[in-house]
Amino acid sequence: MKNKYLFPAALFLLAVVLPFIVPEFWVHVLTEILIMGLFAASFNMIFGYMGQLTFGHAAYYGVGAYTTGLLIVKANVPLLVCLPLSMLSAGLCAAVLGYFCVKLRGIYFAILTMAFGQLVYYIIFQWYTFTGGDNGLQGIVPPAFLGKAANPYYFFTLIVVTLGMIALWIISASPFGYTMRAIRDNAERTEFIGINIQRYMHLNFIIAAMFAGLAGALWGPFNRSVAPDLCNWHHSGMPVFMTVMGGPSNFLGPLVGSAIYTMLMAFVTSFTEYWPMVSGIVIIVVVLVMPGGLLGLLGEKLPFLRQNEGNAKETKG
Amino acid sequence: MDDTGKLVLQIDRLKKSFGKYTVLTDVSYSLPKGEIAAIIGPNGAGKSTFFNLITGYHLVDGGTIRFMGREITNWPRHRIARKGISRAFQVSNIYPRLTTFENVRQAILTQQKRTLNIFTPAHRLARKNTLDLLELTGLLSHVDTVAGILSQGDKKKLELALALAGKPELLLLDEPTAGMSSEETHETMQLVKRLNREIGLSILFTEHDISVIFGYAQKLSVLYQGMVIAEGTPEEVRNNEEAQKCYLGEEV
Repeated sequence: MKNKYLFPAALFLLAVVLPFIVPEFWVHVLTEILIMGLFAASFNMIFGYMGQLTFGHAAYYGVGAYTTGLLIVKANVPLLVCLPLSMLSAGLCAAVLGYFCVKLRGIYFAILTMAFGQLVYYIIFQWYTFTGGDNGLQGIVPPAFLGKAANPYYFFTLIVVTLGMIALWIISASPFGYTMRAIRDNAERTEFIGINIQRYMHLNFIIAAMFAGLAGALWGPFNRSVAPDLCNWHHSGMPVFMTVMGGPSNFLGPLVGSAIYTMLMAFVTSFTEYWPMVSGIVIIVVVLVMPGGLLGLLGEKLPFLRQNEGNAKETKG
Repeated sequence: MDDTGKLVLQIDRLKKSFGKYTVLTDVSYSLPKGEIAAIIGPNGAGKSTFFNLITGYHLVDGGTIRFMGREITNWPRHRIARKGISRAFQVSNIYPRLTTFENVRQAILTQQKRTLNIFTPAHRLARKNTLDLLELTGLLSHVDTVAGILSQGDKKKLELALALAGKPELLLLDEPTAGMSSEETHETMQLVKRLNREIGLSILFTEHDISVIFGYAQKLSVLYQGMVIAEGTPEEVRNNEEAQKCYLGEEV
């Protein structure tokens, strides 16, 4: 096995073994880690690979969550059918909103994504007859074959998230993924080699939203309900924190960040209600001490964690 | 006889101003296919702006640009590049976080129209073409080096490789040898000459190094204060009084 597959394989094995060791509460936490990890990884397709910060990614997570919630509650559609339909609805939403966002860069991109995210939030919040408004949707139960225990839904989530992460990995390593890196590194040069960067950014925005929608689709049956807050800009901040903690330069950084953030939150909230203050301090420490995130720091010590194999030698001439 | 078909680039009465400052005034220019030509002039003469207008970096205020007989005035940059005009910049404009290999491969995959492929790992594609181009431009020893830490001379070579990867009909080189040693300058210009001779690539470059200008250009145009004040063979321009007065001075 190549070195670069060791770390993901070890993580996967750990994810398989842990539910048999830890109490049920922590299996719920692990499920949340996986769902938020996929959400953060989809966010990183825009942040880490395309070089743009979005503060509205929760909108597509929420659209995915509500699509599954509505299909299950109102039409009793099987979960396995809901998942691709949630990806589709989130992708369609991103196709419309992203068309305008990718015309902008930097802070303007961030603000417009947040504005559109809030627009989606308020539509869901106000549309009582369809979305349940601020009450949300309740009674989103997982299919019978997954039972009521924590482990079956955890393993179902593990399979879906693993497939989602593999798909994102394939995309990020493809010529399209490298075109995103090229746009991130030097958008101007990318235009001059013949790339219509707006078109590619739009496509990447849609892909990222589809996987956010998939993560959202897993959330409803896990939590048995969905609420408008899933689309709120506070929720868009979570993948930002997770990605910064784990490391945006490493494909698995957002997933590792999700593990740190979610476990820390579960741990801290059992002692104090001041979780936001603790998370704020953690973010400050991460940004100051390890700006490349945990995997960025570890990558300096452990070469097999690095994904860029670039030889750091200065050339002469 | 109409010789439009033999021209790779035909520019008619090009105008560009930035606010009240006029950079180019009624510049007309033509470049026959397969020729190496240079645009020379002092700093601020409008050379880079001239390149910027041809490649769509700035919008044209007036006049027309035709490439291979087709009008391309104010086309988007990517469309002009796809049409066959590649450009190397005065200040190296590369992908600093990608390796030298990944830089060139990206440009080749773009030329091959494979950048929408989301299924095949990029490292399996265009490997031979990339290595060939790196060898041609003298960068084979820096395949795995992150481009951002290359020396200035190597960055300029990479800049040239990115431009060549597009398999252009017309190559625009903005001070291609700036930051290079005399040996690298000679190697680079020899490569340019070889490409011109072997594949008939049309080349238009700007340069301040007089030995490079007179050593490699077949046609010279002197740009001064936004106007072409002299044009012809190197010998004709060398003997042109106005060109001597405005730019060449005692350097010749």
